[in-house]
Amino acid sequence: MVVVLAISANAQKGEFKFDINYNYSLPMGNFKSNIISNGSPRGASGDVMYSFSNTISAGLGFGFQDYYQKYPRAVYQTGKNEATSAVLSNSIQTIPFMAKIVYSPLASKAAPIQPYVAGGAGFSLVSFTQTLGEFGGTDNGASFAAQAGAGVFIPFGKLSGSGIRLGADYNYLPYNKNGFGSLNTLDVKAGVYFPIR
Amino acid sequence: MIRGVLAVSLLVVAAVMTGCSKDPLTNLTTSETQIYITDRDSNANFSTYKTFTISDSVTVINNGQAVREINPTDSAYIVAVKKYMQQSGYVLVNSNQSPDIAVDVSRIYNTSGVISYADYGNYYGDYYDPYYWGYGGYGYYVPYSFVYQITEGALSVDLLDLKNAAAKKKIDFIWSGLIRGEAVFNANTADEQIQALFSQSPYLKTSN
Repeated sequence: MVVVLAISANAQKGEFKFDINYNYSLPMGNFKSNIISNGSPRGASGDVMYSFSNTISAGLGFGFQDYYQKYPRAVYQTGKNEATSAVLSNSIQTIPFMAKIVYSPLASKAAPIQPYVAGGAGFSLVSFTQTLGEFGGTDNGASFAAQAGAGVFIPFGKLSGSGIRLGADYNYLPYNKNGFGSLNTLDVKAGVYFPIR
Repeated sequence: MIRGVLAVSLLVVAAVMTGCSKDPLTNLTTSETQIYITDRDSNANFSTYKTFTISDSVTVINNGQAVREINPTDSAYIVAVKKYMQQSGYVLVNSNQSPDIAVDVSRIYNTSGVISYADYGNYYGDYYDPYYWGYGGYGYYVPYSFVYQITEGALSVDLLDLKNAAAKKKIDFIWSGLIRGEAVFNANTADEQIQALFSQSPYLKTSN
């Protein structure tokens, strides 16, 4: 009985856990319709979490994602009577930092697949470059960021504190600049986690 | 241990940032670097202009100094401008036949400061003697403003109102086209570039 209770494969109370993930991101809403519609395969994310109980952990999340799209040559109205024909390129990088909480109800039962839900809030650094041809500029700033997600932890074994993480997150990122309203995204991620002892 | 993990993870993210970001400027072909900008005098009624004349040389403006030159590439641009002006309905005449419009083609090189068409207009008298058009003593007036920092070559096509110069006592710019980017001066692409300027300016059309 004691041995079984000791097998809390994922989140042992009082333990730090680290995970690092590959992140694929899909722009949503205004981001998709007005700035960049292409998905981004260039991203990574990570968490450092502390287990307050066998099912609940909290900590810090961070990440990076690069978005890019080039549009065919078109004519843009750039002044009252001024028109500019150009190839327009948009490039955005986001670097979020968030306080996060994760709830995994089956973590204490050493289940082979342990679903979780997660949430977080913090801020994101945003770098937005827009060019017409080879001419343009970059705007750097920071914005409030929030996240809600779900997925599964798959321990490498019953006694293992390490494993694979698969999940999806919806990211809320208001961006009230240059007439754009938000940079919301839907991300999917895959990575590994392991305890820090 | 925690600090070590955080340090490693930030290093990983930094490596992803520098290794995986797409630089927009390195993902453009030479043609895609180029932009075509046009502007016009909103008060100009182009349907009232019927004839034009064009200089048989271009002005080369290099950091405020101007000379007149002609080479095969320049000729290609002058031929293209003639072609698209005529396709827009204008009749080509000699400068001594009282043309309604004067057309100037300029190659601009500027490695310092800002070149603006307001300034450009101020310098225009140095580059284009008003006597050349038969309106000695008149100044030039630019009703719109291009303000660009040109640190590379640019090609400019300007239409000047000679028809109303005597009445206004000045020569107005009524339309300008500016081509900027890499490898702008290219005889092989001159026609395509000038066509782009005229295509985005359908208001230039007149009828004869």
